Amino acid sequence: MPCKETATAGVLWSVLAGSKKTAFESAVGGCLDDLYRYAYWLCRDRWQAEDLAQETILRAWRSWPGLREHKAVKGWLFTILYREFARSASRRRPQTVSDEELLMEPQDHVDPGLALDLDRALRGLGEDSRHAILLQVLGGFTCAEIAVVLGSSQGAVMTRLTRARQALRRTLEPGEAEKGAKGI
Amino acid sequence: MNCLEFRRATLADPRRLEAEAASHAEHCAGCKEFLVQSLETESRLAGALRVAVPEGLRARLLDRTAAARRPRWLALAASLLAAIAIAFALGWPRNDAMALAGIDFVMYEEAQAIADAKPTDLATLYRVAREMGASLPEQLGEMRYTGTCPFAGATAHHVLVKTPLGKVTLLLIPERSFPARAFASAHGLEAAIVPVRAGAIAIIGDSGRSIGRVETLLKST
Repeated sequence: MPCKETATAGVLWSVLAGSKKTAFESAVGGCLDDLYRYAYWLCRDRWQAEDLAQETILRAWRSWPGLREHKAVKGWLFTILYREFARSASRRRPQTVSDEELLMEPQDHVDPGLALDLDRALRGLGEDSRHAILLQVLGGFTCAEIAVVLGSSQGAVMTRLTRARQALRRTLEPGEAEKGAKGI
Repeated sequence: MNCLEFRRATLADPRRLEAEAASHAEHCAGCKEFLVQSLETESRLAGALRVAVPEGLRARLLDRTAAARRPRWLALAASLLAAIAIAFALGWPRNDAMALAGIDFVMYEEAQAIADAKPTDLATLYRVAREMGASLPEQLGEMRYTGTCPFAGATAHHVLVKTPLGKVTLLLIPERSFPARAFASAHGLEAAIVPVRAGAIAIIGDSGRSIGRVETLLKST
């Protein structure tokens, strides 16, 4: 595995050599899997998820020259995907799979039963809470970063995350949720 | 930090607890247990959310941006070229059949026509031209030959003119009306079919310039 300095030097060299393509791929390459997973849990269909991720990458490429802070590329990509999903959802609602149906491929999940429970639990959350929990667990973002993506306040994000985790605990571990969350 | 604040902080982001929260968990067994459970749930949640990524996803996502990678100026240039190509296809003057027949006549039949035909006198030629609504001024050049010959299903008055810009063949066709000026280019020759008041005149020469000069003079009064 290359050390961090080597990777950074590689990116710098790419930029200096004018290889915009290489610099872009180096920057976004590490985020693609999580970006796809975020899209997957929003669309609940692997094909639509890939289309959404593709559209996100295309938009990112077009805007790449204007991105000042290349270190913040992950948050930038997730923001683009979030907005693109919101835009497509408002344009044509049927793009999301019906509530009863998760177009799940069993081989995509380590535990398909748990995936179905999780899907049901996520659907039970409000949209903002769902985005917040996915961004944090999949994207690894802080509350402040999620607030930027969602265009919300940090306090509101914390409240949404708290509610989301309580709901998910109730679904995933009913006994523990009753015990632990008492009084919150 | 009290237990309520600790649990709120844990539910908001269990993996990024501040030092104060960590210190609270050290001294509070209930909250410590809550934190352990939260981290286990978090781990389970993360595992379930990490669906398998389709094979070749990275390559597909990045490869499909290849088209978008072309610089804008290149895309603009390509669009411009395409527009020019379309304009050429639609607007470039295409060879007119009768004008082409004029070129073919000069290429393959003119010498034989001169050999076979009985030359006509200039007075007849001027009268025909006048009746057609065209003029044959002196500036046109030296008329080397005048006669008649069959052309495009009609009888044409065949004129060979030595102009300052080279040899030009005229075919005056009184019997044929033509709706609009037509043009052709082939075998290094150019030809124009010029409609006149009563009929049409085919002008065949080496260059568009010599044809244009003759056309102007034919229409002069």
